[in-house]
Amino acid sequence: MKRQSLVLMVLMAAIAVGACSRRQPPPAPAQQVDDEAARRAEEERRRREEEERRRREEEERRRAEEEARRAAAEARSILEEMIHFDFDRAEIRSDAQAVLQRKLGVLRANPGVTLRIEGHADERGSVEYNLALGLRRANAAKDYLVGFGLDASRFEVQTYGESRPLDPRSNEEAWARNRRAEFHITGGADNLVLPRTSD
Amino acid sequence: MRWFLAAALLLVGTVPAAAQRPDTSRLPTGVKVDLLYNTMQRPLVAVRPFAAPPEAQAVAEQAHAIIVRDLDYSDRYVLAEVPEALRSGPVMLAAWNDLGVVYLVTGEVERHVDGYLLRLALHDVPFGKLKEIQAFRVPDPSAEDFRMAIHALADQLVDWISGQPGMAASRIAFVRDGRGGGRDELVIVDSDGENVRRVASADIIVSPTWSPDGRRIAYAAMVDGGWRIIELELETGATHTVARAQPGTMVATPTYAPDGKRLVFAMLHGNASEFHEYDVERRCCTRLLMRSRAVDISPTFSPDGRRLAFNSNRIGAPQIYVMPADGGQPELLSPFVYGESSYYTSPDWSPVGTYVAFHGKSRGGWFQVMVADAANVGAPVNQITQEGENEDPSWAPDGRHLVYTSVRAGGQGLYVVDTFTGRERLLLSLAGAKVPDWSPTLRRAEGLAILGR
Repeated sequence: MKRQSLVLMVLMAAIAVGACSRRQPPPAPAQQVDDEAARRAEEERRRREEEERRRREEEERRRAEEEARRAAAEARSILEEMIHFDFDRAEIRSDAQAVLQRKLGVLRANPGVTLRIEGHADERGSVEYNLALGLRRANAAKDYLVGFGLDASRFEVQTYGESRPLDPRSNEEAWARNRRAEFHITGGADNLVLPRTSD
Repeated sequence: MRWFLAAALLLVGTVPAAAQRPDTSRLPTGVKVDLLYNTMQRPLVAVRPFAAPPEAQAVAEQAHAIIVRDLDYSDRYVLAEVPEALRSGPVMLAAWNDLGVVYLVTGEVERHVDGYLLRLALHDVPFGKLKEIQAFRVPDPSAEDFRMAIHALADQLVDWISGQPGMAASRIAFVRDGRGGGRDELVIVDSDGENVRRVASADIIVSPTWSPDGRRIAYAAMVDGGWRIIELELETGATHTVARAQPGTMVATPTYAPDGKRLVFAMLHGNASEFHEYDVERRCCTRLLMRSRAVDISPTFSPDGRRLAFNSNRIGAPQIYVMPADGGQPELLSPFVYGESSYYTSPDWSPVGTYVAFHGKSRGGWFQVMVADAANVGAPVNQITQEGENEDPSWAPDGRHLVYTSVRAGGQGLYVVDTFTGRERLLLSLAGAKVPDWSPTLRRAEGLAILGR
């Protein structure tokens, strides 16, 4: 942030200097001196222009980098966004379908990305049955993505049943949060890109 | 005309009954809040302090305290206060008879080799006669097996008095949940809540189950990101892997056949599942028992090994089924009713009979421990617990007590209920205690051929 404002100040100073030089042309000296002065002024102008160009390029590069970083972060958060399930169900709900559809775009745009899908359950019911339920949920999410043509080998599934709650409380709100599938990136995420908006 | 009569009877029969007992309106159809047997009278039993020379006084007191508590926990008797005048001296049965005592236990402790000898006598008070007398070896109280040896004597007394198996000389295995990032721990505790110790740990542990000889515990665990069935040798702490799940699948819920020679477990692939059988003696030769297009888990054998109860979601929500162990048509045991949402899991077949315990609920209530009779499929199921949320029941070796996890206003942890009297006790107060499994009887009293007096 500090560096950005510094660049901005230098830039503003340069513009101010440029403006001054336009508004106040130097008084007319002898011809020889004039030529020398003009040459120097021209040199100075070119130097400044070059500097300006470099600064703009640098800024552009930074902006592009920043944009790529932002896109990668967004792609990552889309990939990692969890989905939720109804009690004792492993069917993909419509809200979860929307989440998985966004993942599909990112997974297509980043064919090297691999994911571990973890199924979780709320604390109610049997511990073992909930482990089975977590496995079903993770598989349902995987099957959904593979159903849209993605390579099954990009996904591994795991179940934690009720043993890793997001919300340790015992109420409807906590249970709803805990009935979920989590998505963890296991590889290929060094240069994540977002799908083109037309996708 | 006949249909009209039937409808009238139905109206007369159901409406007033429902109005009189509004508290049962949330009960699932086919479930009644009831104990298994509640008309039995509990005899009054007195245990006189054990006589001992000064050097054995401390042992006598400890043994007496353990036995009195075990007899109380057996829920078969009412324990009588021992009046000051009758604490020592000659046994005067007439005086005990006046107090209404039915059985009187007396004992004497003396040093014997490197431990002690406890002579126990059981008196039948109303008939005024000595019923049983025998001497038993007791280890030094500093020995690791002292308490278990005394528990075995309490079970011996239950056998003498009632001719039934006790459950004092047993332990309960359970998992202490590592939620919050920690590892799960496999823990065992004595039947009276003493002697808690950790025997194994892993990222996740579920379904511990005792071998019929009480020397091993099999369980399912997540190790290095994959599921395994592991058998733990308790005496040495050695473990070996029985089965390893392929990535994306899971192995779970091992259970020993009553002969101890085979271990059956579930293998889960998404929505399909299988039961496999492993040869415990030869440590090999896993074979497929049964394949299902639903989630079938938690197999549990009848005591004769000829039938299996298990959990399946083949009709949608999980239900309890029973079937012949060598295959055949499963019968629905849990009180499923079409059109009512219900959920029943975690079956455990009683080690001595036809009762199958499980937990479940319907109509959005709390999870409760229930017992169904596999010899009477279709009969109403007994709901044993009522307070809070109660899950994962496991039978004691006496076939009448159940241990289960409970979360209720008064606390949470492992609770024990006597299915005959309904009496509940807190075994261990511990948040995150799960999947308890009650061991078989781990020790029998060591009787000597020496009589008293």
